[in-house]
Amino acid sequence: MEPHYNHEPDPETPTRRKVMGGLIGLINAGLAAAIAIPALAFLLDPLHQKRSVGDWIAVLDESALAEGETKYVTFEMLVDDGYMKSVRNASVYVSRKGSRLVAYDPSCPHLGCHVEYKKKRDRYICPCHGGVFDSDGERVSGPPPRGLTKVPTRTEGGRIWVRKA
Amino acid sequence: MGIFHKSAHDDLHRDRPSLGDWLNLRTGWYGFVQKNLDEPMPAGVGWWQTLGNLLLTLLVFQFVSGFMLTLFYVPSPDHAHQSVAYINDKAWMGSIVRGIHHYGSSFLVIVIVLHILRTFFWGTYKKPRELTWALGVLIFGIMLAFSFTGYLLPWDQKAYWATVVGTRMVETVPVIGPMLLVLVRGGEEVGALTLTRFYAIHVMALPMALMGLTAGHLYLVRRLHISGPVTKQKGKPVKFYPTQLFRDAIVLLVAIGWLLVLAYLAKPELGPVANPARVDFTPKPEWYFLGLYELLKLLPPQLESVGTFFIPMGMMVGMFFLPWLDRSDSRHPAKRRWIIDIAIVTILGIGILTLKGLLS
Repeated sequence: MEPHYNHEPDPETPTRRKVMGGLIGLINAGLAAAIAIPALAFLLDPLHQKRSVGDWIAVLDESALAEGETKYVTFEMLVDDGYMKSVRNASVYVSRKGSRLVAYDPSCPHLGCHVEYKKKRDRYICPCHGGVFDSDGERVSGPPPRGLTKVPTRTEGGRIWVRKA
Repeated sequence: MGIFHKSAHDDLHRDRPSLGDWLNLRTGWYGFVQKNLDEPMPAGVGWWQTLGNLLLTLLVFQFVSGFMLTLFYVPSPDHAHQSVAYINDKAWMGSIVRGIHHYGSSFLVIVIVLHILRTFFWGTYKKPRELTWALGVLIFGIMLAFSFTGYLLPWDQKAYWATVVGTRMVETVPVIGPMLLVLVRGGEEVGALTLTRFYAIHVMALPMALMGLTAGHLYLVRRLHISGPVTKQKGKPVKFYPTQLFRDAIVLLVAIGWLLVLAYLAKPELGPVANPARVDFTPKPEWYFLGLYELLKLLPPQLESVGTFFIPMGMMVGMFFLPWLDRSDSRHPAKRRWIIDIAIVTILGIGILTLKGLLS
């Protein structure tokens, strides 16, 4: 078949093509932004939320902790967990040194495994990657970058209170 | 001649075309199937080339069993463990479906590593197959992301603690680490939002990415054809069907058979429910992350991010760019000594560390 030649003047001038092409690009960019912006906001939402500060919780009777003793105490905390309120099992190491009362977060500052207190050696040992801390929570050896995190404590009404974030 | 021996032309003129013929007229699928069955296999192609097909089949098993699991599974801290326990103990063939998914993921990791090693030692990542290799490396990364996100979902002690540790590694990324940690966890702690995030990534984002990458990988494999052994062997290329497809079938029979027997005999484990306040539990990752786990024990605090970020990231980036790093013309291992040496040292290192982790 003979090709069909159109001798009419081409209505598609270069300018027209350029302008329409540009507009199509602009519309597509707008569409991409229309879904990308809310999607990104959704994704980044956790950064937007305020970090809650924990309440004071009574975890132990004062009399239950003798001088020089270290105890692992578990307790329950009501926490905001995303869309739900949940009761989270939490724990601290509480120890009494003279008149001083200290509490440590058991989470290893390395990668977050829970450290174990070894009474005989008077050391906290991380079972995962072998971090070792002394009884003051200071790092002795292993991969952790720093000592154990201290948890605020106080005594009131014969009870030991801690505030865990 | 393949199994589709009649020409498409004949069918169009029959009085009563079959459904296949009807479809062929509209889609031309006879030609597509024929082309794939006739794919030329150079002399020397053999059992090592069955791994790709095995991977594809294992993926199909993961997709189907994964979908089945979602029929029962609930991604919420107050129901996740219960729903998995239900699958394990109550659902009809539930432990088998979960077993296929659970053991299948280990099979996938082993087979993809073998597939990568074969490609590496045969030097088939070289021109013009650079992109086939690069897509393959991305697929490998997706697989690891699959296993990391899937590991949390049963919400037992192992799942919870492995995720606490795994996500903390994200925090060691220089500068943006602390922000990344919150983004990955969906909050400060591993909790409800971590579970929904991991679930959504595991069942939506990763499968879609995997399908796209796999389609691209397969397209390139067929477009560029299979390269033969390192040194050209005598003999003419043979068609994919039946010789090579028969080898594929035998390998599938053995591997999938083994997977099914494992899923049937060894019910996948479900430990006690996640508990953030237990010190008597030592978290240990899945076996294929044990090498990294052991490496972290060896590094001093100053080098922490080297182990958690720079070495794993460097390995992935190095693998991705391998075809452009090793620019030698020859595929022969003796002619590209340095890259082979680096690979052997790396493989030995990972092997020794993994063994150490298994024994500790």
